[in-house]
Amino acid sequence: MKRIKSKQPLPYIDHFGLADDDLHRILNIALSQGGDFSEIYLEYKIYSFINMEEDIIKETAESISLGMGIRVISGEKTGYGYSNDISMDMVKKAALTAASIASSKNPQKASLFFPPKPIHNTYPILHPAHEKSLEEKISLVKSAYQAAQKFDPKIQKVKASLLDLVQHVRVINSEGLCAIDVRPLLRLTCFAIAEKNNKREVGYHGGGGRVGLEYFREELSPEVIGEEAAKESLHLLEAVLPPAGEMPVVLAPGHSGVLIHEAVGHLLEADFNRKKTSIFWDKMGECVAKSSLNIYDDPTIPHFRGSYNIDDEGTTPKKTPLILEGRLVGLLQDKLSAKLMRTSETGHGRRQDFTCIPIPRMSNTYIDRGEYDPEEIIKSVDKGFYAHKYQGGQVEDSGKFTFSVSSGFLIEDGKLTTPVKQATLIGTNIDILNKVEKIGHDIRFGLQTGTCGKEGQAAPVTDGCPTLKITRMTVGGQ
Amino acid sequence: MMSRAETKQIHLDMAEDLVSFGRKNGADEVEVTILDGSEFSVDIRHGEIENLIEASARSLSLKVIKEQKTAYASSSDLSEESLQKLISSAVKRAELSSPDNYAGLPPKQKIAHDIDALNLFDSQILELSPEKKIDLAQKTEHIALQDKRIINSHGSSFETRVINTTLVNSHGFSHAYNETYCGLSLGLQAGQTDEIVEDYWSSSKRHFNQLDSPEEIAAKCIERTVRQLHPRKIPTQRVPVVFESTMTSWLMGFLFACVSGVSVYQKTSFLQDKLGKKIADDRISIYDDGLIPELLGTTPFDSEGVPTQKTVVVEQGILKNYLCNTYAAKKLKLASTGSAEGTGVAPRNFYLNAGSTTPEQIISSMDKGLILIRTLGHGLNPVTGDMSRGAYGLWVEKGEIAYPVAEITISGNLGEILRTIEMIGNDLQFRSPVTGPTIKIQELMIAGT
Repeated sequence: MKRIKSKQPLPYIDHFGLADDDLHRILNIALSQGGDFSEIYLEYKIYSFINMEEDIIKETAESISLGMGIRVISGEKTGYGYSNDISMDMVKKAALTAASIASSKNPQKASLFFPPKPIHNTYPILHPAHEKSLEEKISLVKSAYQAAQKFDPKIQKVKASLLDLVQHVRVINSEGLCAIDVRPLLRLTCFAIAEKNNKREVGYHGGGGRVGLEYFREELSPEVIGEEAAKESLHLLEAVLPPAGEMPVVLAPGHSGVLIHEAVGHLLEADFNRKKTSIFWDKMGECVAKSSLNIYDDPTIPHFRGSYNIDDEGTTPKKTPLILEGRLVGLLQDKLSAKLMRTSETGHGRRQDFTCIPIPRMSNTYIDRGEYDPEEIIKSVDKGFYAHKYQGGQVEDSGKFTFSVSSGFLIEDGKLTTPVKQATLIGTNIDILNKVEKIGHDIRFGLQTGTCGKEGQAAPVTDGCPTLKITRMTVGGQ
Repeated sequence: MMSRAETKQIHLDMAEDLVSFGRKNGADEVEVTILDGSEFSVDIRHGEIENLIEASARSLSLKVIKEQKTAYASSSDLSEESLQKLISSAVKRAELSSPDNYAGLPPKQKIAHDIDALNLFDSQILELSPEKKIDLAQKTEHIALQDKRIINSHGSSFETRVINTTLVNSHGFSHAYNETYCGLSLGLQAGQTDEIVEDYWSSSKRHFNQLDSPEEIAAKCIERTVRQLHPRKIPTQRVPVVFESTMTSWLMGFLFACVSGVSVYQKTSFLQDKLGKKIADDRISIYDDGLIPELLGTTPFDSEGVPTQKTVVVEQGILKNYLCNTYAAKKLKLASTGSAEGTGVAPRNFYLNAGSTTPEQIISSMDKGLILIRTLGHGLNPVTGDMSRGAYGLWVEKGEIAYPVAEITISGNLGEILRTIEMIGNDLQFRSPVTGPTIKIQELMIAGT
């Protein structure tokens, strides 16, 4: 993609009309009961959605939301108030609610804050989608829809939608921080259903990120999105249910990143370790995986869906190593956990919107490349399973995880053979990390359409990995 | 402070004004919804407050139809100027959509039932002091942590919500109602670091005096957690499977997605073309009932203003109805079942009817099999009915629970499961809007070692 200069100021627009003096006063009101820290989070978001199905543009939607959240931290306690009525009265009320968590005789004063310094923009955009006409966006949706529909007569049903939003964020805190971000987010997705002999299967594809509409000309065309969705549904028509039991499993590059997101990423979020509920909490510095394994979370990858210029606490994020040469070296930190664990922030404090308290979250999480040729990896398996695309995954603090594989292949005599659908992979993370036998040199990222849920909060993320061979894993099937 | 009645009137007036404004500015049909809510929640961990949130928010959403073309919009800025701009821009966007013969608001219908008699609002919840709310959560966790087998706590939470819903449309519908929720929940861990087990339990009601006590929630959560200690792996095999009532509720959630009129007209349900046909064992009857007083899924009308009702979904194994909003109903040449929620459908109280057997009798009927207690993952496919999930269970031998089982998956097909339900428990409870009693399935595939 053509890169434009990233040093231009962010196109932040203030929608709140509160003077800096007022904001400073609110920070002090929030500290009035003796809290250690107060913070104001201001969010303005415009969202637009276009949906096409049954050959028509069925609906369009637009949504505008504006609100602020006020947080006070006192020791391990957090008080939080929010409002989308930003009159000074309501804001004061929210500040007093947040303040009430603390009870100290000697309240501190908030430091003065200054206008934000210019920062490096991770996602400079020439043509933000929200500034483009609805007609232009509709034509993208139609292109994806028609490409899927035309692909094969067996395609019975298509659905294509485009979602774009821009989120203006400003964070101010009692330590004198003032930071802004303007985060575009774009996503075009397509579902296709193929039918043959009364059997129906659904295929899915999509793309986007923190990009402008030019992405669909330069990186991934709507036609390819439509065709790939159609191809997947046709592929699944020929697929069988997988055999059940333990077997060697090869994970396809890119999409299989969800494995690292679930099996490792979540349990390296600092809150679970500070609370000692994660299986990793007492394993810092220890060997938890095969020594060839390196895992990172990087919120600074240009234009990625999971990236941000500042996190939702105003911290500048860093590429964070989690596992290096099999050794546990890092956690994903937010302000509260970093403070309580006496370590530095990594810029992973994220929140869904102004109604939510920030918590440690992943951004773009990946396993780094290895040394094996992907084809050699598949060749090394006599009888096993190749996991290609996923519906999702889930993990518990105990390290037990599940992935739902929507499409894959049997591996027989070192070759991909029969297509397979609807398989489940399960395991325990440290066990699986030690069973990573071979790592390919073909790192890729999954679709730029993923959303991760934690404690009821959704966050856009991506994940990636090279081809991986797991010695043995339980595959659920027939 | 304004009284509840005053606020209600202000919202009705605001919505009615906006509907007229939309009609005057080119919309053929307009629907306006205002949600005004407040929440309180407190999270306790190891006896101390971890998070305390108190807040309120209002938002307005609208739908306009012009020449059978639809557009939606929503905003949290409720100033008259912004709302008029929002609706005018929605009318312009509608012009760029395609005409759809099936678009349209529902015809005006009278709400025959008494909204107040549904008893969805509990004023006691408004009167609870913050201290009392904090105390309930603290007490729940405290009781649980007395148990020596519990090694860590995910914490306990108490939350309350008060919501006022106002709905006005250009067909003359104009109503509002208040509702309340309260919930108390707890999460626990037991076992040594490398073989931790965990579980959650909660109670959620519209009325405070119906909420389970801290003692009940703690006891249930401890039992559910420690029964998983020292799990074994089992070999891959096909065996009878008992779904605990929480798991039947989960299964009913999957079924709901397949009897949704929206999924059916979109051809994303394996139950399309099955109306009037036998899809389940004779003993199976399934209902969706929006009118049972006080329940979580009960509402006087749906998001389009269609009165809610009791709908027979499956009767003695025969599929009788899909659950439809106005749009899906028109598509399928059926009637709306008062199931609209946003642009889709949602369950009211969607449940599998109780049988006569006790859960204990069901377990003792199994010579060898699995009690499914939790599942993990995303493996559900409404298009085919296929399901495949990570699972936790209790292994049963000779009618008795022998040991817990972990690291397995269960897989099967919902169509086949419905046809092979062998026993139905008498333990139906409305703990959540989607629910069912304990059931026994003839056989499912379990993948283990």
